[in-house]
Amino acid sequence: MYQINIAKLTDKTVHFFWDPVTRRTFIKKGAAGLLSIVAVGGGSTIFAYPDGTKVALAKGVIVADQSLCSGCRICEAVCCSRNMSEGRNSGALSRIILEKNYLSGDYEQNVCFQCSQPLCLDACPTDPRALHVDQKSGTYARDIDPDLCIGCEQCIEACEEVFKLPRPRYDPEYDVCIKCHLCHGDPQCVKFCPYGALHYKTSESGLKTGYPYI
Amino acid sequence: MADTFGWVGKILRVDLSERKTDEVPTDNYAPQFLGGRGLGAKIYWEAVTPEVGVFDRRNVLILATGPLQGTLAPTSGRFMVLGKAPQTGPVESYNRSGVGGHWAPELKWAGFDALAIQGKAEKPIYLWIHDGKAEFKDASHLWGLDTYQTQTEIWKTHGNKSRAMVIGRAGENLSRIACILTDSGDASGQCGFGGVMGSKNLKAIVVRGTGSVRVAKPDKLADITRSIHHLFARKPASNDPFKPAQAGFKYNIWGGKPRGALTLFYGELLDLCNNPTSGYTQIPDGCYACPIACRTRVKGPDITNGVALCAQSFMYMESLVLQPEKGYSKITWQAAKLADLYGINAYDLMAIIPWLGDCYREGVLTEKETDLPLSKIGSWEFIEKLLRKIAYREGIGDLLAEGGQRAAGKLGEKAQQLSEFYYPRGGKFGGYREHWAFLGGFPSGFAIPQLALMWVLDTRDVFTSHNFISQIWGAADTIVQNENNAVPDDLIPILKPVMKYAYGSEEAAEFFSRDRKKLNWKWAPQVVKRAHERAILKDSYVVCDIAFPYVFNANSKDHVGDTSLESQLFSAVTGHELTEAASYQKGDMLCTLERAIAVRDGRTRKDDVLRDKYHETADAADRKYERADLEKAKDQYYQLRGWDVATGIPKRQTLEKHGLKDVAEELQRRKIF
Repeated sequence: MYQINIAKLTDKTVHFFWDPVTRRTFIKKGAAGLLSIVAVGGGSTIFAYPDGTKVALAKGVIVADQSLCSGCRICEAVCCSRNMSEGRNSGALSRIILEKNYLSGDYEQNVCFQCSQPLCLDACPTDPRALHVDQKSGTYARDIDPDLCIGCEQCIEACEEVFKLPRPRYDPEYDVCIKCHLCHGDPQCVKFCPYGALHYKTSESGLKTGYPYI
Repeated sequence: MADTFGWVGKILRVDLSERKTDEVPTDNYAPQFLGGRGLGAKIYWEAVTPEVGVFDRRNVLILATGPLQGTLAPTSGRFMVLGKAPQTGPVESYNRSGVGGHWAPELKWAGFDALAIQGKAEKPIYLWIHDGKAEFKDASHLWGLDTYQTQTEIWKTHGNKSRAMVIGRAGENLSRIACILTDSGDASGQCGFGGVMGSKNLKAIVVRGTGSVRVAKPDKLADITRSIHHLFARKPASNDPFKPAQAGFKYNIWGGKPRGALTLFYGELLDLCNNPTSGYTQIPDGCYACPIACRTRVKGPDITNGVALCAQSFMYMESLVLQPEKGYSKITWQAAKLADLYGINAYDLMAIIPWLGDCYREGVLTEKETDLPLSKIGSWEFIEKLLRKIAYREGIGDLLAEGGQRAAGKLGEKAQQLSEFYYPRGGKFGGYREHWAFLGGFPSGFAIPQLALMWVLDTRDVFTSHNFISQIWGAADTIVQNENNAVPDDLIPILKPVMKYAYGSEEAAEFFSRDRKKLNWKWAPQVVKRAHERAILKDSYVVCDIAFPYVFNANSKDHVGDTSLESQLFSAVTGHELTEAASYQKGDMLCTLERAIAVRDGRTRKDDVLRDKYHETADAADRKYERADLEKAKDQYYQLRGWDVATGIPKRQTLEKHGLKDVAEELQRRKIF
């Protein structure tokens, strides 16, 4: 019951399930933008944008099991509590978003997939990019540097192109965007989930998850 | 209040008559009165006088969160509803009701610690509170809709991230047993505040917030939270669902009940849920930030989906008697959900339904005059008709909508006598159904002195006993007994270390004398005093009464819990260091404040009594609650609290010692001392 089945993904499973996106992306970046997935060294794959920016695959990703979720939103609470400055706790500043139908009871943990081809990163207009690959912690998560971020929300719009619910969020108090950075290798939502509905999967050779795979 | 942690700093006062709102700084009340029940008591004391009737426009409906709401603190999805309660009777008086779910954090994120609503709108409206703003919205299109439909309509307008407290038909028709419901089954049930909302023409209170609550010590909060998760969650320290739960680990609520045990009982519906091909499921459903998820959400193709817990889901156990072969059936479930849809308090229905059965058997009521199929109690036909009549106030429903105790009072002496069984507290401040006045239920159970003393002193049914009962259940579970067949003699050795830790003496666990002939009242006043303080603190922080205070640990050898968890959470969130010992002084103060409110409404020692039936009937071991013993225990309790022993009224110097000078002055002015 995983949302993502990593084992079944191969290099060639590229789905374009939402036409407008494909078209828009093509227009913006040209065909090469989508197809330049190249293998480098020992199996790790790097995606390169036409402007030369290379994006390594993330080495970790959070996967969610809806069947075990109780909809308690501890994941949201702990994400915010552990990551926001000044001890701010809020549902609107969580980097994992729990959608819940409160009458019929369908839960959906919307985690950041740390996309192989991160549209958010591509959209980031600053130079150097505020949205960068977190190499320091070794997770290769797509992280936002708050010192560089200008709060333009273009990453949010880019994510919204493919995912109904954009994963990066806007923090109005500091005028910056925030997004899941896998807590630099120790995701707190996974640690605190009382039912084991969230898992942290890692691979040294990189994981092909998110856009364009799912 | 920008650098305040925990509280967000504002209390919103709403006047529906004038269509005006204003804000009061929470600083005026916090940290002295904490939040929730304590904060609400103080707001009520200042805002409502005893002369105000429950459906009067001057009655103030208070919805109060505490410092922990909206943070990571475990079980912080709760808040309190307070005000003059329609259900309390025969004299209407101040009361409180707790609600779980996801409404409370949303209110905090919207920028308010509490709401105080007075006045009456000219036509149906609802309140829309979002990010520091409050708007009055027309609710004429919602009036008459059931609680689910109302919320669905509201979500269409304000998005599904908004949370709403709504009333159903019962509340609109000013029933004294109407609840306020949020989501699919979280409700302010007891006290009948749904009727107060109805009397104000207020259909719903909708909140949505994108702000934040600040925590003083996030790292400390995370540490405590993690340790509490270990104590309560089913899979401690394991995040792999494919690994079995730790061997021997018990789910730490009420001493080890399995998850879902308080939603469904054995029978048709549980079998369907356990059958993967049936299309029915039950999945855990947690309130905000709760690691326990005690309730389960039941889904199925031909039932009303949603959550229900304990009294709510077990409301119609008569259906199990009528159809024993089916057990807990779809009828049992649908009855509970129908009460939710109409917005009727299920707990009072648990008294009304069997009491109607008793009246029918005794010939007090007939099928013809009530127009109810009383010979078929337990059937869908009966419950559907009964709930409809109550919600719409049709025929006998008009009487029953006043609550079981008031209805019985109007039906003559015989009906009144039959109802005494269900409403243990005598005096003028009763109206609440039996809730563990005996261990194992009356009259087959065992008399426990602490329970009787709690009952006479409380203002509603004894929620304090949830905690007290949970340790007894836990002890029973340890030796493979349960709440229905537990024998106190077997439990005492297990409870001794627990009682020594929680109440200071092993002897507190000995509920009866060594020769087993008499009840042992010696420790009752001390135990009840501490239990009341813990209960009011828990409701003021606000945390859940299923988890806190954590007295009994089902998983350790000596079963000793940890009662300092709540004050640790409070300290970490607010940055105000509060030791466990200091917190009890605060609890003492709040208990005295609540008593002062009751006293101002006319309550005295004479109202702190049990019904005669509870003294006359011997328990399963042939022991009785003797009047003299109970009176002596009351003497000691009043003394411990610093209340006048002869009248049960808090003494002037006690109030002043607690920093409640204004309270003392008003009682003086009213010549109550």
